[in-house]
Amino acid sequence: MEALVQMNHITKRFPGVVALQDITLDIMPGEVHVLLGENGAGKSTLMKILSGVYQPDEGEVIIGGKTYAKLTPREAKENGIAIIYQELSVINELSIMENVFLGALPARKKGGIGVVNYTQMREKARTLLDSVELKRDPGETVANLNISEKQMVEIAKTLALDAKVIVMDEPTSSLSEVEAGRLFKQIRQLKKEGKGIVYISHKLDEIMAIGDRVSVLKDGQYVGTYPVKESTVDGLVTLMVGRELKNKYQGGRTAGEAGEVIFEVKNLTRKDHTVQNASFFLRKGEVLGFSGLIGAGRSELMCAIYGISPIKEGEILLNGRKLHIRNPYDALKQGIGLVSENRRETGFFGNFTIKRNISIAKQLMQTKMGGLLGMIHVKEEQEIAEKAQKEMSIKCASLEQNITELSGGNQQKVILGKWLSAGVKLVIFDEPTKGIDVGTKSEIYKLMQDLAQKGIGVIVVSSEMPELLSVCDRIIVMNRGHIKGEFSIEEATEEKLMKAAIE
Amino acid sequence: MSKSAEKDRNVRKKKTFTDYWEKYSTVAILVLMVVVFGILEPQAFMTGSNFIKIIEQSSITILLACGEFFAILLAGIDLSVGSILALSGVVTAKLMVDFGMPPALAVLIGTILLGILIGGVNGFLINVTGLPPFIITLGMQSILRGLTMIVSNARAVSGVPIQFTKCVGGRIFDLIPIPIIIVLITAGIFIFFTMKTQAGRNLYAVGGNQQAAWYAGINVKKHFLLAFMISGLCAGMAGMVNVARLAAAEPTAGTGYDTHAIAAVIIGGTSFFGGQGMIPKVVVGGLIIGVINNGLNMVGLSSYYQTIAMGVLIIAAVTLDRFFGSGNKR
Repeated sequence: MEALVQMNHITKRFPGVVALQDITLDIMPGEVHVLLGENGAGKSTLMKILSGVYQPDEGEVIIGGKTYAKLTPREAKENGIAIIYQELSVINELSIMENVFLGALPARKKGGIGVVNYTQMREKARTLLDSVELKRDPGETVANLNISEKQMVEIAKTLALDAKVIVMDEPTSSLSEVEAGRLFKQIRQLKKEGKGIVYISHKLDEIMAIGDRVSVLKDGQYVGTYPVKESTVDGLVTLMVGRELKNKYQGGRTAGEAGEVIFEVKNLTRKDHTVQNASFFLRKGEVLGFSGLIGAGRSELMCAIYGISPIKEGEILLNGRKLHIRNPYDALKQGIGLVSENRRETGFFGNFTIKRNISIAKQLMQTKMGGLLGMIHVKEEQEIAEKAQKEMSIKCASLEQNITELSGGNQQKVILGKWLSAGVKLVIFDEPTKGIDVGTKSEIYKLMQDLAQKGIGVIVVSSEMPELLSVCDRIIVMNRGHIKGEFSIEEATEEKLMKAAIE
Repeated sequence: MSKSAEKDRNVRKKKTFTDYWEKYSTVAILVLMVVVFGILEPQAFMTGSNFIKIIEQSSITILLACGEFFAILLAGIDLSVGSILALSGVVTAKLMVDFGMPPALAVLIGTILLGILIGGVNGFLINVTGLPPFIITLGMQSILRGLTMIVSNARAVSGVPIQFTKCVGGRIFDLIPIPIIIVLITAGIFIFFTMKTQAGRNLYAVGGNQQAAWYAGINVKKHFLLAFMISGLCAGMAGMVNVARLAAAEPTAGTGYDTHAIAAVIIGGTSFFGGQGMIPKVVVGGLIIGVINNGLNMVGLSSYYQTIAMGVLIIAAVTLDRFFGSGNKR
């Protein structure tokens, strides 16, 4: 049998990083081909090449016997390749049938002008909706549908395009079990019709249930393709993460000196239930890591602690004192700082100098009425900034430079300096080395360890397991909003972390 | 050495045209305007008394612009300043004429408190609804225009006490117009406020990055309230000055002044995206508009041409800023 799609020796480089290296993949008719890998393993990049969004630097894509060195989005679409993204791309304001035929509405000529033929569109849509078993009126607005139904609209969309290969990116991430069952039924139907399905998921139980073959990617490298029948959950986990720690931080740990508990969270549940019943503690002198998949509730937990998202119930204690946090101001006032995941959006002020970015938190804490009453003390501002620059070794020509002129790593140091100047007792780092070069990374790891040694609490959320394994003393794993495991650094391995994260 | 480290080292480059442009563009435009009109109409335009007149005529625009500045600093806008001017003028005048209040009390209630109140309502609605300031203040503009007509019966309020017009609209030693003094004091207070107080700094922070401001512990809503209160207060004061200069309160006063105020703020180099701008430049921006209006008058062009000139200037100023300002770096 001839493959629907054959991807040969695909290599894709981005500035400073090889995203994909020599990947070969084929998709057969009537199979569910699972793509497995950690966050950042290159699954999405590979699929973007398949759909023509990215052009590979090396390699070729063969579709229907025709070879493309540089596939364009248009060619991919014409060749029947459709992608259903995790964030569904239906347009809520339009009707079901308009969504299904988006971009190619059935038309008829009226006085020389093409007008939409609603009667024909409704009939065609009805047939397609029947085949995905969506019992809704084609004219209904998509906003009225639930997630599962919207997904069926997406599938109907691919049917309308007569897609031969359908890529599904984490399709069950927001579905209940019943809804997922319905999706699987639909996938089996598509298989029978001879379509090739590329299925991206972290949920190994699902993969075992629906997959035919599984290809594993790791750090942009191709590990291998295996029949699902002959694979085991443990075996796949090892294939995903089994690698040597190349960028291991060599700074030496503080383990063993950990003292009394300085920070504790008891039974924390968020109002939106993205975090449920989370309890953990942090000892003096240790660095505590949070591992888990994207969307497992790690950042959500930290946002709740920092007062950004409301808490339904739970207690937060710092140095034995119960905290009352309704907003970031309360958190900061009571000694917590958050180095957030997204520097540009929530971390720094692009219109401020380095000096002002550093001093703002301390000065805010010194003034009355949440900053409405109080003066700027020019001399003190300078002193605060100079001290932080020295302690963080921020590399800049002048503190009067605009912060946007700095590299990502130095921006991160400025943000950290802002919190430390304000005298926080606990710093939460959320993906602290995202987009930061290797050299600055280890500087930031060093800063974390120094803080812990000084008795300041350090919590690190990271999707990079090697990072956690090299910098933390203890690692907590979250999975679907719950704390699912805790490992001391001695017992933690990538396999164990990954297993707890996806179970 | 890694690339980013190199980047950090090399950033302090020589001063570029952009740096100079940012500092002096507004003043340069003002000087250019004065020179152009000086050449076209040397006798009437280039006199000390005409310059004082220009500043006096600009005082209302500058007052409005000083308030508008804070709305735009938060990446918002206040379209109600012209209508606040009209209502506060009518109310202040009526309190004196119909209710026999002493001018000081009438100013306190009809100008200061009313201005702060309306601005506060603007800010409150923006915070509660989460709608853009454009929508809220546009609605407010219409509401206030209607209110002004009802309060005044659509008639001008005349017979304002002479001590009021003298104190607010007159001249010291028959030379320096008091509106100029009011503008100088107001601008001075705001320069101090924006540069030396924490609240002023916070407004720049909120305007520059609302999310980061919230993460840094700044109460964003309080600062929106504050900014629009300041804007309302300034508009109220502009209403007071307007009544004093005309010795009567016109219910239709201030029509189109929103545009003047916004133009002055923008020509003064304030970023429409928030977080960047300075009061002194906004004052110069207001003067530029005054010079254009006065100069075109002298040259003998009708007010229709003045309107066109202002439109051209707004677009030109922002376009130049886009090419030479620091905004294009990001």
